[in-house]
Amino acid sequence: MIGDSRPPSPQTYGPGLEDLCAGDTGIGLVDGAEGRLLYRGYPVGEIAAQASFEETTYLILHGQLPSPAQLDDWERELRRWRRPPRAAFAALKRVPPRSHPLAQYRTMLTVAACHIPEAEDSSIQAQWRRPARILSWTAALAAAAIRHLDGKAPVEPTDDLGFAANFLYQTLGRVPGDDDLHAFEASLIVQAEHGLHAAALAALVVVSAGADLGSAVLAGMGALSGERHGGANQLAFEMIQPLDGPEHARRWAREALERRHRFPGFGHRVYRCPDPRVAALEPLAEALLERHGLGDRWQTYSALRDEVEGALGPRGIFANVDSITGLIYHPLGLPVSSFPIPFCLAIQTGWMAHCLEYLPDGPMIEPGAVYTGG
Amino acid sequence: MTVFNTNSASFDWRASEVRWPVTTDVGPGLAGVVATSSRVMWLDPSSGSMAYRGVPVDRLAGSRSFEEVASLLITGRRPEDHRPAFVEFQHRLRSSRKLPEPVVELIRDLDPATHPTRLLRAGVSALGCHELSVEDDLAGDRHWRELRIVGQVASLSAVVAAHRHQRSMPDLDLDRSFASHLLTVLGPGEPKAEDVATLDLLWTLYAAHGLDAPTFTSMIVASCRADPYFNVVSGLSALRGARQGGAGEQVLEQLAAVDSPGDARETVARILTSGGTIAGFGHRLYRMPDPRVVILRRELASLARRRGRPEVFENALSLERAATAALAPRGVHVNINFYAAPIFALLGAEPAFGPCLVAVGRMAGLVALVREAMDGIRLMRPLSRYVGEPERSFPGTRRS
Repeated sequence: MIGDSRPPSPQTYGPGLEDLCAGDTGIGLVDGAEGRLLYRGYPVGEIAAQASFEETTYLILHGQLPSPAQLDDWERELRRWRRPPRAAFAALKRVPPRSHPLAQYRTMLTVAACHIPEAEDSSIQAQWRRPARILSWTAALAAAAIRHLDGKAPVEPTDDLGFAANFLYQTLGRVPGDDDLHAFEASLIVQAEHGLHAAALAALVVVSAGADLGSAVLAGMGALSGERHGGANQLAFEMIQPLDGPEHARRWAREALERRHRFPGFGHRVYRCPDPRVAALEPLAEALLERHGLGDRWQTYSALRDEVEGALGPRGIFANVDSITGLIYHPLGLPVSSFPIPFCLAIQTGWMAHCLEYLPDGPMIEPGAVYTGG
Repeated sequence: MTVFNTNSASFDWRASEVRWPVTTDVGPGLAGVVATSSRVMWLDPSSGSMAYRGVPVDRLAGSRSFEEVASLLITGRRPEDHRPAFVEFQHRLRSSRKLPEPVVELIRDLDPATHPTRLLRAGVSALGCHELSVEDDLAGDRHWRELRIVGQVASLSAVVAAHRHQRSMPDLDLDRSFASHLLTVLGPGEPKAEDVATLDLLWTLYAAHGLDAPTFTSMIVASCRADPYFNVVSGLSALRGARQGGAGEQVLEQLAAVDSPGDARETVARILTSGGTIAGFGHRLYRMPDPRVVILRRELASLARRRGRPEVFENALSLERAATAALAPRGVHVNINFYAAPIFALLGAEPAFGPCLVAVGRMAGLVALVREAMDGIRLMRPLSRYVGEPERSFPGTRRS
């Protein structure tokens, strides 16, 4: 968000700051009426089909696509930070293996944050030096946290793989085939920026108070970990998993609709129309499930979606991105409780871009509370 | 629909109810925005009045223990009217201070030179792994209700202080108040009753302050129904900021250069002519001296006298006067950090530990506001206006 760009003006808004326009941004357009998502002007579907995650992050942070030389530098900078401090890995020995992987991951990040260069420098120059380190450290630590779930040791990074492939390699101990990798990378790309959602707002508040970009990312993750936010892809998958084929899915959905059940992965505060991120991932998820002999699960998902969207679509409720990412992550071998993590790794790009856009002249963010205690 | 003239000088941030949607002025940094309604605390930036659950804060500061103030904020009941309930509350709060050994070890594994707020944040995060398992519901509803986190942040702060100074941790004594426990670590010797009262007073003043950065961050995180430990890690991240809890360190640096009223004027002139700002001055909300300063100024005078170091108070006062003379005409006034920092220092805390001390107090208000908001909370999601590049096609065939 561009700080301080508008003089005070009256607005009408609801609880949760609904419909409040908090400010201007040049980073992304989340068009809830037309179902468009643009990063720096480019439609997200086109980016996901053609760009790497590295190109996408450069675009989101810097505002334009990198030249070949710029991309080279950016990729080298990202690779340079693939080895977080050992202490962050050692922290896993101090937490129970059965705690939530996001909580373990968070603990590794808070410990890593005790070992960062120029930690207390919150000048804008120092803040700009942070995104590459944050993106790469978080990926390595997330991979270790996921492996730790099964009591497995961390895997050393390899420098000849891209960001997405190396993350999967460090998580699974192997690199999936090109098509599977492309589906996973596309899922990162379509989730790399999404306007001023709750997590981005939390990050912005933290950085506006003068903290470092890493602290802002931790706050964003906090918001994301909630079940109403990033945790939703796990819940959405857990809803679909026990359904036994399309017929069962239809029957269950109809009963659930009658009970006025809330469907995780459906409905969105901004999109009142089909989610463009779902459209971008649909063919990739379907083909991936087919390749893994899980075509039936795609049919089940589609049947559930038809029923729910048929009933609730007229009220503006459609499948959102959380409904579909689990269908990609599960066949790749990621454990269900780790599903929020790839979302986290991707979306922090957008948070950092918003923070860096806000910082040069943005004031501390501090709304008010009306006292109704009499 | 309710219209609130939040920008007008006469608006005092009280209403019989908030009927959504509301109309207000929206300024930079969300100034003037009504983010929530609350029965926990009231803050009127134009008059400087401040009350917790309807009790003016100046009536609480100095006469109530921090635990009593926490109880008032969180339960909404006055301890003196509900003694048995308060005793039960206090017992729960105090007994939650017992920490799992691996969490203490995690902090001890880290370099003691690390900034204490980073150590505290790591400790809270690790604690969350011990408190919640993967089978627990993510929202951690139970944990907010049980209030364990208020006591845990207090005892973690003590562990951090002990680690920074490479001192051994005293055994946890349930008869000790929060303040007494922490002062035992800061030392030297058995804490004196007056010092316990001073720390209680500071925590009372820091316990809640509207939707400042740590509290607003926590509200946003809670609105996503995140677990309480994630929530507090996020809030502590905001508290780290230079414009927030971090300001105290700069205040002490400034004061170190002052030994007379002449020094004070020189220091202020030097900082301002070089384009710097005076730490401990200026507040996003107030266009008047921070109301909490009146209480703290008095407290510093008495603490400095007790310590036989009256010059600490005199130098602070000289610097405040010199800075006020230069800045008041621009509407910039003294804030709470200006006097809190030297008080923390006289209580034995190193400068960098200030934000951890603030965090202990702030937990009371933060928990009170989050608990209050949990039932009716809505996902905090404002909009932004896109002013970037118009839609354009991605240049093809980039993918090799």
